[in-house]
Amino acid sequence: MSKRSWYYFAVMLAMAAVMVFAAGAPALQLAEAQDGISGELSVMGFSLPDEVATVRVDRFRELYPDVELNITEGGLDQQQFLTAVASGNAPDIVYMSRELLSTYAVRGALMPLEDCIESQGIDMSQYRQAAVDQVTIDGQIYGIPEFFNVILVIANTAALEEAGLTVDDIDISDWESIAELNEALTRIEDGQVTRIGFDPKLPEFLPLWAAANGVQLISEDGRTPNLNDPKVVEALEFAAALHEAAGGRQDFMAFRDTWDFFGSNNQFVQDQLGVFPMEQWYVNVLSDVSPDAPVDFLPFTDREGNPISYVTGNAWAIPVGSSNPEAACAFAKTMTEADAWIAAAEERARLRAEAGTTNTGIYSANVLADEVIFGEIIQPSGNEKLDKAIEVAVAAMDGGFGIPANPAGSEFRQAWQDAVNRVLNGEQTAQEALDQAQAEAQAAFDEAWMFQE
Amino acid sequence: MTRLSRRERRVTLQQRERLAALAFISPWIIGFLVFTAGPMVASLVLSFTNYDVINPPKWVGLANYQRLIDDPRIELSLYNSFFYAALHVPLMMIVAMALALILNQVGRAAGFFRTVFYLPSVTPAVAVGTLWLWLLNPRVGLINRALALIGIDGPGWTTDPAWIKPGIVLMSLWSVGNTVILYLAALKNVPIELHEAAKIDGANPLQRFRHVTVPMISGTIFFTLIVNIISSLQVFTEVYTMFFGNMRSGTASSAGLFYNIYLFRQAFEFFRMGYASAMAWLLFIIIMILTFIQLRVSKRWVYYEGA
Amino acid sequence: MAVIEHSGRSPQERLADMIGASGSGIRQIIPRLLFIVLLIGCSLMFLAPFAWLVSASLKVRSEVFGPEWIPDPIAWENYVKVWEAAPVLSWLRNSLLVGVLAALSVTISSALIAFGFSYFRFKGRDALFNLVLATMMLPGVVTMIPVFLIWDQLGLVNTLWPLWAGNLFGSAFYIFMIRQFYLGLPRELFEAARVDGASYFGLWRHVALPLTRNALIVVFVFEFKASWTDLVKPLIYLYNSDLFTLPRGLKALLDQFGQGGELQWEIILAASVIVTLPMIVIFFLGQRYFMEGIATSGLKG
Repeated sequence: MSKRSWYYFAVMLAMAAVMVFAAGAPALQLAEAQDGISGELSVMGFSLPDEVATVRVDRFRELYPDVELNITEGGLDQQQFLTAVASGNAPDIVYMSRELLSTYAVRGALMPLEDCIESQGIDMSQYRQAAVDQVTIDGQIYGIPEFFNVILVIANTAALEEAGLTVDDIDISDWESIAELNEALTRIEDGQVTRIGFDPKLPEFLPLWAAANGVQLISEDGRTPNLNDPKVVEALEFAAALHEAAGGRQDFMAFRDTWDFFGSNNQFVQDQLGVFPMEQWYVNVLSDVSPDAPVDFLPFTDREGNPISYVTGNAWAIPVGSSNPEAACAFAKTMTEADAWIAAAEERARLRAEAGTTNTGIYSANVLADEVIFGEIIQPSGNEKLDKAIEVAVAAMDGGFGIPANPAGSEFRQAWQDAVNRVLNGEQTAQEALDQAQAEAQAAFDEAWMFQE
Repeated sequence: MTRLSRRERRVTLQQRERLAALAFISPWIIGFLVFTAGPMVASLVLSFTNYDVINPPKWVGLANYQRLIDDPRIELSLYNSFFYAALHVPLMMIVAMALALILNQVGRAAGFFRTVFYLPSVTPAVAVGTLWLWLLNPRVGLINRALALIGIDGPGWTTDPAWIKPGIVLMSLWSVGNTVILYLAALKNVPIELHEAAKIDGANPLQRFRHVTVPMISGTIFFTLIVNIISSLQVFTEVYTMFFGNMRSGTASSAGLFYNIYLFRQAFEFFRMGYASAMAWLLFIIIMILTFIQLRVSKRWVYYEGA
Repeated sequence: MAVIEHSGRSPQERLADMIGASGSGIRQIIPRLLFIVLLIGCSLMFLAPFAWLVSASLKVRSEVFGPEWIPDPIAWENYVKVWEAAPVLSWLRNSLLVGVLAALSVTISSALIAFGFSYFRFKGRDALFNLVLATMMLPGVVTMIPVFLIWDQLGLVNTLWPLWAGNLFGSAFYIFMIRQFYLGLPRELFEAARVDGASYFGLWRHVALPLTRNALIVVFVFEFKASWTDLVKPLIYLYNSDLFTLPRGLKALLDQFGQGGELQWEIILAASVIVTLPMIVIFFLGQRYFMEGIATSGLKG
């Protein structure tokens, strides 16, 4: 071969050699724990979208100046996390949804937090029980909860008026009356639906409807799915049937996709929706983009009339390979303690007052913080409706429940969501679909719980 | 210097050629040994294990492959992927060829149009998926609005299970630019002299296309055929964004479940890396068989001047 | 073979002559006009979604999905917000660096390797090439973790190296493609050069390379684009946000502005446009060189 080609290969080899030597440094963790908390703390799965996050993080920085925070911004990506764990590069602390957390905990990827709680003196009673339950597996706690998103019902008062009704006429505990309401408020023009009466938010809210009917989708110990329980079947049949008034699921969904959901021409402004249950952060959106929309709020209740709410949120967890668990523990505690939330709420109140928009509060999962935030910081805003929304949401927190901790979260979700979709597409009856889902879910659970042994 | 016999000289030439060839190929060989062979073998081994990435793999023998047979979603997702490929590949090639032929005729104006056609394939996949979700909306999306202009009542692209895959094919055609560029390059490589000679012999444009152009670019056509089949069986990002991302909660869970999406879910959402590896090897074998059939058949219609 | 007189017209012009689409008579203008109209129609279809993307990115949040094409008011601040929220310049620089390195290395190495598989005839050539093809067929997802572990052993996680250095060893896709072009070159050219005393490397450098210039430029652009838009590699290899490439940065922004279900679409769309724009500019500038230098087949009369 000619000299030139050898030269080329030699250059490649040289580059490879340089690669290996020059590259090492950034990955090294240089910190040693000194007295007190210090060193590097790498955080994965968290980002800093607003003052609620930045205020709390800054507060941590002030309290622990010796800790070098390294936040890899962005929501948790499972590919990213798993490859990091696989190679021993797990972050020191991770932020993820509570539902996901149990799947990792069961597989031994996360540390039980008993020692952490004791050494840092974390008072677990300050957090809402429903949230703590979601991160407790076999009696061990694996996460420190953050955020408690509840559901309330939003109604279009203009549509109600047109039908000669008011908000007080809506009775969520009476399913027959919901069906009637749906008929009354659905509007069809030229064979196409132009207003949906009652949107049950399937498939996402199946757990909510099941709970309204008195059952959960999983047993409390998280080991047995309960999908084909007759009450779940009944709930699904009821909720699915609501789509018929709009001409069937496809027309329903196609129409729903046209809504300007986050915009100033949203479905309440355009009179495209009568009533639906929704997570409380949407109240924020409405107050931002359409504060004058004709809406009113009421709690979601079960068939007995008790307010209930399906709750979601996140938590801080410490991966087994964490190189700085002490700092991680301190971080989790500091981010979720009452004072942190209160400071964030005060900043939010200040910013909102400046901008002239309403402060709809922070739903933190911390009971002590809630008392102060909703007792003192949030003042009547002058907008009666929004004040009512806040009241409803706060009340809903007490009736909150979450899907019990279980190891097959994603697969379980796939099983029942697919079942709901099959029913909505008319491919199967509710009983058939849920029977199938039950079998799939049970198989997944059995397999997953094996890891716990 | 002793004179080598003829035979000895030929042998030495052969050896030298072989050495030279290997030298040219050596970068690939190194890369293959370090970055490809190892991981491929690893994934094969993993397919015989239960591996959740967090804990060490556990040997389970053929259990994953048995599962492949029992799992109804395997058949479903394979069907979805093949259906899509069967629609997408021919359409893509025809449209790309048509555009390339037209571009070839318009001289310098082609420059601007080339860029226009290539733009979509440069857009981030996430944006493409989101964009097309809106475009394909049965009520307000541009596609159905355009169809309405010519009196057609557009179907439910994003809601009707029967139309979800065609909708995705439509979206994929938007990225035809890649193939157009390839065909255009190939068309330009056809020697003018051949066309001139053919014209002198009295051939009309259609005959020239069939007998001059197509053979000369058959190599490229063959290439795009194979590559498009392989990649269309591995579609992922746009479809995931449209139908499986956070916002969509599985609206198209059956009709839109492509093989690679199901594979990804098994690997990273259900913690079944072993099963995902088995799925990957199944697809691998299918694609290999398909490709080698095509390679065999190609000897009949692909023309190589210098082979 | 007949000797063809070239009248000093470019190959394109001559081709146009032959199909009757050149000259200025009516019979020539009509087909050409027709083609251009057709192209404009197609272009509109291709551009429309893009135009919407740009227009939506300049709207205020409450208007983003509204039907107007022209935003009113024009929310330039979306772009400012993106710019301020993130080290976009760093991302741009990283994307450029990685893109150029990836494209350059894969073009050169694939061209070399493809030559080995096309000019030479040796036992086992086709079998080995089939192996090359086979590597294209395994879904990347399952080799991702083993490959990651390899880079980790080399100590190169959280650097830019894993994003492009694999290309030094060629890529099956481009090897296949370039090989197709090489196989189309007439053998006589190489024989002639051999007779003149060229080495094998010289054959590649002075015969094969110039004649497949178009193909190589295509490879470069394709790989540049693939590298530019890749999300998976930066996602798993990069932890520091100033090492991010543009798509990875886009995802970080998306998550940052989308927590709790409240998507700030206008920011995301603006970021999408920023990510896409440099690619378009580069392509537009570069595509002039694409098709220039029409391959003369070198057939001697």
